[in-house]
Amino acid sequence: MSFQSYVIRRIGQVIVTYWAFLTILFVLFRVVPGDPVSMHVQDLGAEAREERIAELGLDQPLYVQYVEYLRQLARADLGQSMIYNESVWNIIVVKFWNTIILMAASLILAYAIGILGGALLAWYRGTAFEKGGIVLTLLARSSPEFWTGIVLLGVFVFWLGLFPVGGMRSIGSELATGVGRYLSWDFVYHAVLPALTGAIYFLGTPALLMRNSMLDVLNADFIEIKKAEGLHPWNVLYKHAVRNSILPLVTIAAIAVGMAIGGSVVIETVFNWPGMGRAMVDAVNNNDYQLAMAAFFLMGSVVILMNFVADLLYVYLDPRVTYE
Amino acid sequence: MSNRQHEPASTTNSLADQVRRGWSTFTALFGNDRLGQIGLLLLLGFIFIGAFAPFLAPYDPGEMNRDDQGDILRLDGPSTDHLFGTTQLGRDVFSQVIVGTRVSLLVGVSAATMSVFIGTNVGLISGYKGGYVDDVLMRITDIAYALPFLPFVIVLVVILGADIMNIIIAIALIQWRSTARVVRSQVLSHKERPYVESAYAAGAGDLRVMYRHILPNVLPLVFLYAALAIAWAIIAEASIAFLGFGDPELHSWGQMIYDAYNVDAIRFAYWWVIPPGMSIVLLAMSVFFVGRTLEQITNPELRHRE
Amino acid sequence: MTLLEITDLQTQFETSEGRVHAVDGVNLSLEANESLGIIGESGSGKTTIAKSIVRLLPDNGEIVDGEVRYDGDDITEYSDRQLRKQIRWNEIAVIPQNAMNGFDPVYTVGDQIVEVITAHTDTPNDEAMERAKSLFQTLGIDEDRVHDYPHQFSGGMAQRAMIALALALDPSLLIADEPTTALDVMIQDRILHRIQELQDELDTAMIFITHDMSVVSETCDKIAVVYGGRIVEFADTETIIKNPRHPYTLGLRNAFPSIMTDDQDLVSIPGTPPPLLEPDEGCRFAPRCPFAEERCWSETPQSEPYGDGNTIECHRADEHERIRPEASKSETWREQEEVIEADD
Repeated sequence: MSFQSYVIRRIGQVIVTYWAFLTILFVLFRVVPGDPVSMHVQDLGAEAREERIAELGLDQPLYVQYVEYLRQLARADLGQSMIYNESVWNIIVVKFWNTIILMAASLILAYAIGILGGALLAWYRGTAFEKGGIVLTLLARSSPEFWTGIVLLGVFVFWLGLFPVGGMRSIGSELATGVGRYLSWDFVYHAVLPALTGAIYFLGTPALLMRNSMLDVLNADFIEIKKAEGLHPWNVLYKHAVRNSILPLVTIAAIAVGMAIGGSVVIETVFNWPGMGRAMVDAVNNNDYQLAMAAFFLMGSVVILMNFVADLLYVYLDPRVTYE
Repeated sequence: MSNRQHEPASTTNSLADQVRRGWSTFTALFGNDRLGQIGLLLLLGFIFIGAFAPFLAPYDPGEMNRDDQGDILRLDGPSTDHLFGTTQLGRDVFSQVIVGTRVSLLVGVSAATMSVFIGTNVGLISGYKGGYVDDVLMRITDIAYALPFLPFVIVLVVILGADIMNIIIAIALIQWRSTARVVRSQVLSHKERPYVESAYAAGAGDLRVMYRHILPNVLPLVFLYAALAIAWAIIAEASIAFLGFGDPELHSWGQMIYDAYNVDAIRFAYWWVIPPGMSIVLLAMSVFFVGRTLEQITNPELRHRE
Repeated sequence: MTLLEITDLQTQFETSEGRVHAVDGVNLSLEANESLGIIGESGSGKTTIAKSIVRLLPDNGEIVDGEVRYDGDDITEYSDRQLRKQIRWNEIAVIPQNAMNGFDPVYTVGDQIVEVITAHTDTPNDEAMERAKSLFQTLGIDEDRVHDYPHQFSGGMAQRAMIALALALDPSLLIADEPTTALDVMIQDRILHRIQELQDELDTAMIFITHDMSVVSETCDKIAVVYGGRIVEFADTETIIKNPRHPYTLGLRNAFPSIMTDDQDLVSIPGTPPPLLEPDEGCRFAPRCPFAEERCWSETPQSEPYGDGNTIECHRADEHERIRPEASKSETWREQEEVIEADD
C-alpha cells in the first residue's frame, strides 16, 4: 500500500470513529432516561416548558433530532446555553483555548522531562541514580492530579507565597484579547503551577517507556557500529539512540493528549482555571447540558484529531512501517 | 544467568506442577527486587486494613464527635483520642481513612477485573479472527480512545446516578481499551507460532486454540495490565470523588479531600488533607511497584543486572 | 611493516558470577595488507579480541593488561577522544555479523555513509554523497540505492552496503566479525570473493573472525586458532590446513569437509568450550583432548615458536607427527566423547 492510500484509508477510519463518537454524544445527552435536559426543564412552568421543548426541537421524533443535531454540528452551531442564554460557541471558544494552552504547556514539559529523564535512566542503568529516578517517576504517576495540585498549592502558595492561588490573570490586570491574552508575564505567573501539576502527572509514562525503549535500542548492533565509526558519543546518543527510542512514544503521545484533555477537568477545578474542563463540571452541576455537551464534543474532537496526527507522524518517523 | 526460554505454556502439566512453577517464578522475580518487595508489603498492608476496617476504625466515620462540654469537636488537631484529628463536622479522620481503604480497593480490583476481562477478550478475538471482525473491534477501541476519560465517567455517573457500582462500570467501560490493543498485538505474533499450528493439527477448534493455547501465553501481559488498571482505577475514582461526583454514601479518600477542599481546609487543617492524599499515593504506588516487577516476565530484557 | 601488534592482551568481564577472563594473554601480529583469520568456537573469546582492539567493550569489560600497538603506538593508552578521532573508522573499520542490524533503521544508507565521512573530514555533504555513490558502484550496488533505507535491502546487498560504509574513509585495517554467517552459501561465497579482491585493490589489512574454517582457508594469509581466551596455534594458512600441530586445530579441521584431504566422516569435537571464570592451571583444552596427559591437567602450556614465525601452545607439540594421523580418525574423538560422558 502506498503512503497516499494509507492516509486515505486512515481518514476513512477517522470519519467512522468520529461519527460513532458524535452518536455516543447524542445518546448520552438525550436518549438515556433522567437526562439533564428534563431535570432542567422541570423547573419551569408547564407552558413555558412546552415552549422550551418545542424551541429545542425535543418534541420531534428522535431520528429527526439526531439529523438536526448532526446538521447543527456541521454548521459549527453548538446551540444556546440554558443558563447563560448565550451562544455556547461564544462561551466555550475562549475557554477552549485556555485549556489547550495549559495542556500543551503541561505535555511539552512532561515529554521534555520524560524523554530526557528516561534516556538518562537507561544510560545509567543499574546505578543508585536509576533506582531513585524510577521511584520518583512512579511517585509522580501515583499521585492524582488534584493531589499534586493541592500539595503544590500548599507549598508554593500558602506556605511560601510564591504563586497566585488560582485563576488565569491578576485582578485589575490589563484585559487583552486574542493571542495577547497568553503573552504576558502575568499569564505565565498564573500558569506555572497548573502546568507543572499536569506535567508531573503525565511525565511518568513517557519516562518509563523511553527507558525501556532505550534499553532495547542500546543493545542494538547499530549503536555499537556508530560507536566504532568514531562518532561523538552525544551524536550516538541523540542522533541514533534517542531518535530510535522515541518511536513508541509517538503513539503514546496521542493517548497522553487524551489524558491531558480529560485531566483538565481536575486541574482546572483545583486552580480555578477558566477552561473547558471546569466549564464542563460547572455545566453538569447546573444541568446546562448544551454547554456540557459542547465541552465534551470539543475534547473528543481534539483527541481524535491528535490520534490521527500521531499515526501519520509515526509513519513519517519510522521508514520501516508497512502501511497495513 | 539462567537461560530461561519463553516456552509456550504447556497444557499437559498437572495443577501441582503449575503451582510450583508459578511459585518459583514468583520468588525469582520478587526475590531480588527491593521495590517489588516494598510494593507487595504495602499492598498486603492495605488489604489487611481494608479487610478488617470495621474492627480497626476506632469511631464510626460518620459520627459527629463531641467534646466533654457536648460541643461538636470541629477541626480538632491530632490527639491521642483522634489520631489524625477531626473534620469540620467533628468526624474522626483516622476512621475515615481506614474505611476509605475499602472503597479504593473495591474500585481498583473490580474496575480492573472488568476492564481486563473485556480488553483481553476483545484483543484475543480481534487478533485471532482478523478481517472485518478485527476491523470492527479495533474501531470500537479507537472510539474508546476518543472519549475523554474523566468527562465521560462524570456524564455517565450523572446519568446513571452516583452509585459506586456505576462509577466502577464507567471506569471499566473506558479502561479496557489499552488491554485490548496490547493483547491483540501479542496474539498477532503468537498466531504465527508453530505451537498454534500443531494445536490445529491435533484437531483443536478456534475457541480451544484461543483460550487453551494462546491465552495462557499472553496471560503475563494481562496480569501486568491488570496491575496498572488497578492503579489507574483508584486514581480515577479519587478524582471523580474529588470533583464531587462520588458516591455520597461512602467515605472514600477522594470524597474526604473534596470535603476538605470545599471548606478551604488545606490552608489550616493539614491533618484532614494529608492522610487521605498520602493513602491514595501509597496505594497506587504499591501497585505500580508490583506491576514493575511483573513487567519483567513480559520483557526479560528489563531484568536488572545486579 | 608491522601494522598491528598485540602483546599479552588480557580482557576481563565483571559478572555476577565472578571475573570472566575472556581474553587471557593473547599475542598477535599483522603486517599491512595481510589478512588474518581468527577462528574459534563461540565463547572462545575471538570477538572480544576484536572488540579490545577498537576498545568497544561493554561497560562491565576492561583491558586489564597488555598492549595493542597500531603503527607502533600503543592505542590502549589513547584517550577516548584520541581513539575516536584517530583510530576508529579512519584507521580501523568494522564489518558486523548482521549488516541489516548494523545500520540505523531510521536513516538512509547514504546518509549514514555521509555522516561518518563528515564526522571525520571536512568534506562537504554533496561530495560525501558522491563518495557514497562511488562506493556503492565499487561494491556492485546501483548508486541510486544510497537513498534507500536499510530495510529495503536484501541481506546480501545490506552486507555489501556495510562494506561500502566500512571503506568510506579508506581504513588501513578492516575487522570483519563473521561477516557472512547470516547469509546463504551462494551469496556468502560471492561476498567473500569481493572482500578478497577489494583487499588486494585497496591495500587494506584484514582481520577475519569466524568459526568456519573453510571461510578463513580461502581468504586469509595467516590463521590464529583461539581456545579459552588464548591463541593455541598461530601459523600461515597452509600450515594450519595441512600440518597443524595442536589437537584442537586438528579437531576443528575434521568438522569441515571441504578442506579434508581424504573423505572422512564429519566429526565435531566432543564437549563444550571451557568456562572462562578464573581459570585454573593446566591446558584449557585438556578435558576435551584425546591426547591429554597428566601434565596437561596441571601445567599451563606456554607459547612455543615453530617453523617460520608460527607458534603453538601444547605440551605434546613435538609429537605432532604421531598425533596428526590419530586425530584425523573419527574413532579417536568418539572415544573421547565417551570419556567425557562417563565423567558427567
